[in-house]
Amino acid sequence: MDYSKLDDEVLIRLIVADNADSLSELYDRYNRLVFSLALNIVGNPGTAEEITLDVFTQIWEKAGTYQPEKAKVSTWMTTITRNRSIDVLRRRKSRPERLSADLFQLPSDHLSQDENLEDNAQAALQRERVREAVAQLPEDQREALQLAFFKGYTHRQIADVLDLPLGTVKTRIRLAMGKLRKILVD
Amino acid sequence: MIDDKHVIDQLPAYALGSLDDEEAVQVSDHLSVCSECRSELETYQTVAAQLALAGVESNPPPSLKNNLFDQLQIPQTTKSRDEGKERRWLVPRVLTVWSMVSLLLILALAVGSIFMWQRINQLEQSARPGGMYSFALIGTEILPQAAGYLIVGADGRNGAVIVDKLPLLDADKEYQLWLIREGEFTSGALLAVDEMGYGGRRVSAPDNLLTYSAVSMTVEPAGGSPNPTGEVVLVGTLTNP
Ligand SMILES: [Zn+2]
Repeated sequence: MDYSKLDDEVLIRLIVADNADSLSELYDRYNRLVFSLALNIVGNPGTAEEITLDVFTQIWEKAGTYQPEKAKVSTWMTTITRNRSIDVLRRRKSRPERLSADLFQLPSDHLSQDENLEDNAQAALQRERVREAVAQLPEDQREALQLAFFKGYTHRQIADVLDLPLGTVKTRIRLAMGKLRKILVD
Repeated sequence: MIDDKHVIDQLPAYALGSLDDEEAVQVSDHLSVCSECRSELETYQTVAAQLALAGVESNPPPSLKNNLFDQLQIPQTTKSRDEGKERRWLVPRVLTVWSMVSLLLILALAVGSIFMWQRINQLEQSARPGGMYSFALIGTEILPQAAGYLIVGADGRNGAVIVDKLPLLDADKEYQLWLIREGEFTSGALLAVDEMGYGGRRVSAPDNLLTYSAVSMTVEPAGGSPNPTGEVVLVGTLTNP
């Protein structure tokens, strides 16, 4: 049976039936996305590995709770990953701080070798589309958005970190999300 | 709802989870009574969900996959894509007059059933005449329009599968239904479809049908295979309603 031809939702249904090959296929498809997101949030490869293990363990054990009408499988997985990673970050109780590097990847002029080899060219295109959209944001909006998305900071924390009035931060986040929505959803 | 009470401005931040607790409660209170804001929120959630794709990428160590399977204590079978070459080419089964008759009976029943069960599913999950179960089968990526139902009697001992919009197969191929439990596949039925893509068959297995947790259907050499080898066309779960 060729699992690489099955779509994500079908793999989840087979995982409910304890089919290990389906978990293996889902892991191959998403380990990079899950690990990268965790690493971007927690900033430590060892912790990101633990989170990746946790996320796929949860999928193995709780695949039955997945609700296809609510979210795509990839969205479900990134939501689990982000929540778990931000939890880890908050438990450290470290003071919110600025980012030392840009966590958004710039769009590439051509698809990398990795992406060319990828079974799912659709996913590579979608990723490029989001990167291009994010690249169109002004620098100050990008920074505020990254702190909200990757660090889970509230408006108030972002205002503290960036030493800006609260209203300015609110506006930046709102404008950034509005622009992305225009490009990605409308 | 009066317009100035809408929470449109807070929705982008709500989707990101960056409102203070107090603000977030206000927004979710409003969302519970305002469908306009709820649908607005959905669009921002779609954006937020895609942001993960824009992040800098790195690969986890290759050993992490083994760690996962060790931790879960499940064997990691390395699937060989050549598996199909070991197919057992069986002599096509000759249908006796009697089995033709019973097949026609099942088909006749099935024609009524698929519409009936579709309606029932749309209405109420709990409406189960005579305690019977129906489980929807959905088409995979290669056949998204395909559909079917597995119908199981109240005691789980008898069942029938009906399928719709599957391609007509060459004479040397058949559809095979698999009952899946703990990752093991058991053959449940072999069936063909007519020119309309419609077909049905009785399902039998060594164990009670309700003890399996999922089903799939693959294309196999006529006469069936001991394990699935061909393309998967339908899948479904047998979670008791
Ligand atoms: Zn509203």
